[in-house]
Amino acid sequence: MAQRPTYTIALIGNPNTGKSTLFTALAGVRQRVGNYPGVTVEKKLGRLDLEGQPCQLVDLPGTYSLAPRSPDEMVAVDVLLGRQADVGAIDAVLSIVDAGNLERNLYLLSQVLELGVPVVVALNMGDIARSKGMQLDAARLRKQLGVPVVEVQANRRLGVAQLKSALAAAVQSNDQPAKQQSPFPEAFQREVNDLQRALSAHAIGVANRSNGQPSVATDDALPRYLVERLLLDTTGYVQTALHADGRAGGSDDVEPVAEALNAARQRLADAGIGVPAIEAQSRYAWVATVTDGVVRHPDNPVVTRSDQIDRLLTHKVWGTAVFALTMMIVFSSVFVAADPLMGFVDDVIGAMGAAVESVLAPGPFQSLVVDGMIGGVGSVLIFLPQILILFFFLSVLEDCGYMARAAYLMDKLMVRVGLSGKSFIPLLSSFACAIPGVMAARVIENRRDRLTTILVAPLMSCSARLPVYVILIGAFIPAQAYLGGLVQLQGLTLFAMYLLGIVAAAVVALVLKRTLLRGPTPPFVMELPAYKWPSPTNVVLRMADRGWAFVYRAGTLIMAVSILVWAASYYPHNSTVVRDTLQPRADALTAQIDALGADTPDRDDLVQQRDEVEHAIAAEYQRDSILGRLGHLIEPAVRPLGWDWRIGCAAIASFPAREVVMGALGVIYNLGSDIDVGDESDQERLAAQMRAARWDDSGEPVYNVPVALSIMVFFALCAQCASTLVIIRRETNSWGWPVFTFVYMTSLAYLMAMATYQIGIRLPTI
Amino acid sequence: MSLNNIASGSGVHDLIPIHLLAPGQSAQVGHVAGRPEEIQRLEELGFRGGAAIEMVQSGSPCIIRLAGQKLCFRADELLNVLVRRGATM
Repeated sequence: MAQRPTYTIALIGNPNTGKSTLFTALAGVRQRVGNYPGVTVEKKLGRLDLEGQPCQLVDLPGTYSLAPRSPDEMVAVDVLLGRQADVGAIDAVLSIVDAGNLERNLYLLSQVLELGVPVVVALNMGDIARSKGMQLDAARLRKQLGVPVVEVQANRRLGVAQLKSALAAAVQSNDQPAKQQSPFPEAFQREVNDLQRALSAHAIGVANRSNGQPSVATDDALPRYLVERLLLDTTGYVQTALHADGRAGGSDDVEPVAEALNAARQRLADAGIGVPAIEAQSRYAWVATVTDGVVRHPDNPVVTRSDQIDRLLTHKVWGTAVFALTMMIVFSSVFVAADPLMGFVDDVIGAMGAAVESVLAPGPFQSLVVDGMIGGVGSVLIFLPQILILFFFLSVLEDCGYMARAAYLMDKLMVRVGLSGKSFIPLLSSFACAIPGVMAARVIENRRDRLTTILVAPLMSCSARLPVYVILIGAFIPAQAYLGGLVQLQGLTLFAMYLLGIVAAAVVALVLKRTLLRGPTPPFVMELPAYKWPSPTNVVLRMADRGWAFVYRAGTLIMAVSILVWAASYYPHNSTVVRDTLQPRADALTAQIDALGADTPDRDDLVQQRDEVEHAIAAEYQRDSILGRLGHLIEPAVRPLGWDWRIGCAAIASFPAREVVMGALGVIYNLGSDIDVGDESDQERLAAQMRAARWDDSGEPVYNVPVALSIMVFFALCAQCASTLVIIRRETNSWGWPVFTFVYMTSLAYLMAMATYQIGIRLPTI
Repeated sequence: MSLNNIASGSGVHDLIPIHLLAPGQSAQVGHVAGRPEEIQRLEELGFRGGAAIEMVQSGSPCIIRLAGQKLCFRADELLNVLVRRGATM
């Protein structure tokens, strides 16, 4: 077992300063990624050795400021103040600073220096700054800052040893509290001191009233930095956040605290100190002092390679063209390159199923393991290659700096539905899977815009919808080509399904921004980082992280759902029709076959007859199962969509996870449930069975083009994913929003599918 | 909108909205107009009174250069930046 870490070091810095690269350079690739309890803020931990002392390194999300306005930023502040129980006290802060933009980077450092923890500054990317003609005096910066400054080149691992010894010295100096530096004017500092005393006294008073015991609140008094934030935060976010944790007084104490804050702000305003404007004024004034004589900019700015690339990539016409081309390449690679890999995954799962089948005796248990567990989970794992390939591209585009350009280009479009370019990346990720998409919406600061993005993200056609589209299109959409083969009707239908999700998302976003989440179009300001070669380590780590999250989900939720669906379609497994009629007939046929010699001409015919009876038995069990009865129960409701009870069954079974649908259809159409979507002959078998399906009453074919389209439209729009709903619950911290998402998506899917079918059957050409 | 707190020594009359800058033109940020929390975000990015900027690509959103970094920014009626044209970089 690893030795318990003696010290904990937190790594903080602006976005795009090489923070992940420095983390890897210090702690290696063995990183533990998780979440802080209660919030989906990524927690990244690593180990490093400082002069024989094992240390824990905590990576904090990249940020420009420690002014909490969202749960992410609040977690960063809590970790730094040692208030995050699962991280513990912080012994030193490592602040990474981009030498090319000292001013903005030192703004964050001035906040870090107020926390009262030893700080080491890693001055990164000095080589790039110098190549742009800047002159940099690190020694002078060290002297003027009064904290250790180590020049590093994280990508080339230069300066890492010096950085480690500076950190070792810093953690060992932590016995005496570090000097808290405040850049604020004295009057402001006095108000903060007074408030801190008043709030602590208040907290003690409350504790004494409630339990009559002397409270521990004196130890646990609100840290000075948080009191300062309370005073500076005019939006009230910090107070709400602290209050929710019970840290700023009890429930009846919101009003007095707010009054005290307002009175303090008023006194400061009278003294000519504006809140919150004073923060930027004071900090930048401090930055100007400590950087005096440290940096010299060239007289004529050098035109960098990034600028040259940007001339093309952000060009109004060419930039958009390159963007469209990039997206096309990404999506076609996801489908084309994943194909052989999916075949491989499929073979492995098939072999596992066969191996288990041969070991276990036939019966409910064998059926559970082979059909329910291996079959169900396998139908999900098959998408792992697609997820990995998509995340490969997304990580590369992100790491090289292109994603910010894509957001810039897309802002023009997003503005029209009341969102900003920042919503683009979450929506793009949702084409692979809505879960990372919903999580990616965290970069959007404004709550209304973040919510709108989260609520429409599941409308993007995720990879789990693809097999439904592929099978139905292959079976029912004629393979017609236009313009000499350039445009295929089948491909066009597939494209239309993706477009449907996009258009629906745009309309829903527009409606939400005008009704429930009414508000102005969010401001859009975003850094366009310099282009760089993507780091293979970062890309691989991101892919592995996402891939594992997906596999984990398949192994837990999908496994549970598969078992439930299997049980619902297996039990009660006790049909009188089977017992009295079908089974005796099958047994009679078996006896007949056994009696015949191996080379009798009638034998094949009889074997075929028996197989048919056995399929009929399976179908009878299916009809009689819980799922089958449910299907019959809802048939009147799905009839207007052109569906029979079997399709209704499959749709119900897919509500927990839409990936289940292909397996469910396979079971329902008596193919045996080992249908695998990656296998072309199985797809063809399923398609043939669907084409042959007849209505029980009229004998008419169930499936035609309008029915196939109606099913595809339903799957395109419906909220058939429990995991997404759970993630929405976590991200919005309320059950209201996932319920809302489920209701609106399902209603929309139902109505649109009905419209598709009803219009479809009235069109003469189809 | 209130323009009272513009740094002294400069007239209000020479301030123009940022989107009127032509590509390649340099300017100095005079005043940021908007809600306090939005202004604070801009300030944290270095987008604050007195900062030297250069318009790289005009339009909405536009791309500007600010202290060696590039930012894209969409000005609208809720958040806008008034600049003084032709200031030395």
